[in-house]
Amino acid sequence: MPEVTVKNLAKTFGDNSVLRDVTFTIKDGEFFTLLGASGCGKSTTLNCIAGLEQPTEGSIAVGGRPFVDAGASVFLPPEERNLGMVFQSYALWPHMTIAQNLALPLNIRKVPKDKQKTLIHDALDKVGLADLSARYPHQLSGGQQQRVALARALVYSPTVLLLDEPLSNLDAKLREQARAWLKRLQEELGITTVYVTHDQDEALALSDRIAVMEGGNMIQIGTPHEIYERPAAPAVAAFVGRCNFLTGKVVAQDGNRHSVRLDASGDVVRVDSERPVVIDDSVTVAVRPERLEVTTAEAAAGANRLTTQVITSSYVGSRYEYDVRLGDQVVQVLSANGGLSGEVALVFDPSHALLYADKVELPEDQRDLLTVAK
Amino acid sequence: MSTLTQPPRTPAGESPAETFKPPRYRRPFGIGRDTVVQYAVLAFLAVLVLAPIVPTLYQSIRNRPLYEAGGAFTLSGYTDLFTEAGFGEVALNTLLFASLTTILSLAIAIPMAIVVVRTKLPGGRLVALAMQWPFFISSLILGFGWIIMYGPAGFVSVKVQQVFGGVPWNLYSIPGMALTEAVALAPIAYVFCANALRQSDASLESAAQVCGAGPFRILAQVIVPLLRPPIVYSAILVFSVSIETLSVPLLYGQPVNIDVFSTFLYHNGLQSVDPDYTMLGAASTVILVVTLSLVAVQAKLLKDAARFVSVRGKVTRPRKLDLGWLKWVSIACIWFYVIVGALVPIAGLVMRSFTLVFTPLQSPFRTVTTKNYEIVFDSDNYVQSLWNSLIVAGVGSVVVSALAVFAVMVARRSTFRFGRAVEYLALIPQSLPGIIIGIGFFWAFALAPFGMGSVLQGTIYAVIIAFGMRALPSAFGSVAPAIMQIGGELDNAARVSGADWLMTFFRVLRALITPAFAGALVLTFVIMLKEYSPAVFLSSADNNILGTTMLSLWTQGRAGSVAALATLQIAITAVFVALAGLLMKGKHHA
Repeated sequence: MPEVTVKNLAKTFGDNSVLRDVTFTIKDGEFFTLLGASGCGKSTTLNCIAGLEQPTEGSIAVGGRPFVDAGASVFLPPEERNLGMVFQSYALWPHMTIAQNLALPLNIRKVPKDKQKTLIHDALDKVGLADLSARYPHQLSGGQQQRVALARALVYSPTVLLLDEPLSNLDAKLREQARAWLKRLQEELGITTVYVTHDQDEALALSDRIAVMEGGNMIQIGTPHEIYERPAAPAVAAFVGRCNFLTGKVVAQDGNRHSVRLDASGDVVRVDSERPVVIDDSVTVAVRPERLEVTTAEAAAGANRLTTQVITSSYVGSRYEYDVRLGDQVVQVLSANGGLSGEVALVFDPSHALLYADKVELPEDQRDLLTVAK
Repeated sequence: MSTLTQPPRTPAGESPAETFKPPRYRRPFGIGRDTVVQYAVLAFLAVLVLAPIVPTLYQSIRNRPLYEAGGAFTLSGYTDLFTEAGFGEVALNTLLFASLTTILSLAIAIPMAIVVVRTKLPGGRLVALAMQWPFFISSLILGFGWIIMYGPAGFVSVKVQQVFGGVPWNLYSIPGMALTEAVALAPIAYVFCANALRQSDASLESAAQVCGAGPFRILAQVIVPLLRPPIVYSAILVFSVSIETLSVPLLYGQPVNIDVFSTFLYHNGLQSVDPDYTMLGAASTVILVVTLSLVAVQAKLLKDAARFVSVRGKVTRPRKLDLGWLKWVSIACIWFYVIVGALVPIAGLVMRSFTLVFTPLQSPFRTVTTKNYEIVFDSDNYVQSLWNSLIVAGVGSVVVSALAVFAVMVARRSTFRFGRAVEYLALIPQSLPGIIIGIGFFWAFALAPFGMGSVLQGTIYAVIIAFGMRALPSAFGSVAPAIMQIGGELDNAARVSGADWLMTFFRVLRALITPAFAGALVLTFVIMLKEYSPAVFLSSADNNILGTTMLSLWTQGRAGSVAALATLQIAITAVFVALAGLLMKGKHHA
């Protein structure tokens, strides 16, 4: 099983640049996820690996074999790359039975008929659908179709498995189960897998490593833990999980502990960060809702304590979600403490907040929703 | 495959399953078979489309006919055209005729589309069905029917003369031509407007209604403004069709010497003893420039509107407005159009085919006869032309539909660099007047290398090529949306699984495309059965088809036989469409 090397990949349509200088390497047997909102370039990247699109610049090689190299005019068409791919719509050929769907790639590879039979049976067995081989795709449920698509992509033992949002057409409950099942299957097979999704939960649960993309750029590559706990940019923090952004100015420093005066309320909070900021820098403090606590009690020593008012509180099952007012800004909090109202203390540890240089500009509609009159 | 039950995470480089050789496709000099096929489609279409155009341009600047040796460069064709030949008046007539036709057909179509689609109208579905009549009846046959009923000696005219002592209309005039042509072309405009109305968002109207607007305000301020794009589009379409049409201007204009573009070519090319081919070429070139620039205008207007938008997702059922007593007026107007415009002339034609004398002065039933049909079936020539028409339509529809499928596959379903060019080539014949295609191929056969021209000239193959080219845009237009509705991921799945473009087509898409192919087949069969104008320049004693035979019988004054042949053509079309509908329905259920 080979590793996938993508170097300086770029793609433009006319003046519109959808992919900019993307470079990454996927290790052998790794489950690698491209995560981002729609239009971020993740599907284009996947299609370039599959050969369904030609990059304008850059190169892709799998196991040392060059697939495409725009500089050297090398382009291997998709049919000769020996990859397996599962599409968002599953793309099962509707006029063929399940067995025929699986047989086509084997026929193309001139596999003898008796051998085909065992291969098809094994592949369907792997996905637990061996007894449905005579059915037509439309006679199967969505979840079954998705597993057949996976079986079809695996039946000819491709070098790399490409998955383009394969779970997005399933309903929420089924999606969670399919996720766990897919993870097991991939670990059993040990096949190098590239997974494309816009669903952060999926990405966190499945991946060995995640690449977060935005606007055609790859802004961070890391393990799920790194992506969530140490997002490299505010965009990553905002996209993976939820995050409150509080802008302010550095007013004092003590080693890695910075004191920031918040624009919203004028309070000063302390944040631990290794980022090189100096006094008077405009910065953004980012805190995830679940790292904030609302309380009426006294805070522990060293923690930040801000006075806020509860605007709304809602019970979301197992936890309470609060919108609290800090100056003119709305701050979201997830807390186990229920039934709070009026004036409460907002408490967080300096090590639980993230610090970013520059002010984060929220999209206008989001900013409007998060602003309240003083 | 015992590894399945105990799945250890295998170390790198060792795969649990055995691997197969990925497929390899031969590419001598880096050119695969996909590329070869794609270029072949491009080249074939280019030759087909340019074959009638280039010789026409060339002839217009040569002082001798192309089939004669010698000849030199000249521009006299163009100067003669406007000095001696009176082409200026012809152009004026054409402009008048086309403009009047456009205005009249829009005046019929737009109100009808609004009333049928957007208001509560008893029998609205029936009207929508009735508007498909021009599909079965060529404008040549409609022209015959109108003359038989409303012409100077027509059945209705004579009756009106009897009762009122005068006939307030004159069919053999430009307004007369325009009225007939407008009746024939109104359904085109109707279909565009009706589709646009059906697809427009019904909630826009609901929103207006909630704001307190009554049905008439909604019509005037919401529905009609939304119709502007289809109106502009169909206006240009109707205009360009009436510029190139031959039938009605020929039948009506000949007795009174009114010439438009197409009849000018017809008279100067066919009926003159010593045709001036240079001038004919020049005239054709001028007309080509006019029609092609109309297409350019159309393309510019449509730049943003997708040409083959396929209907997807859920269809909103538009809420229908209530017009009150006005709906009865609407119904009366619509049925007046259908009955007087189409049903009466066709009924007259059928009656005429079964009678010897057809006039209100004497009961037609006194002379009921099958003699008209006997004349047709006793003559080898007429029977031959019937068979020729069937062969042309039968063979042609298969070839053209197959070509259209390949053209769509290359243009829309491949990464071929010149895919756009393929699409344009397939659609260009739409703007080539039929009679110019005929003249052009006539010259092309004269120029063709290796004596290929003389092999084709005057044969039924020449007719198939010319008619096929005429039908290609319609076939393309019918196949394209059907193929585009097949999700592109099906192709991608096949490509990633190891099939190249050609194998993807034959192994996966072919079965899915079959219904689209069958639909195109029916459409092109009917179009090619009705077609005749390119054949007037390509015909010989051996390759006459129904249209050319009817035209020559008509000039001989044998209206009875014309009516019989016309009735046969309508009957064949109807039976064919009915059978095809049954077959496709049956297949659908299976």
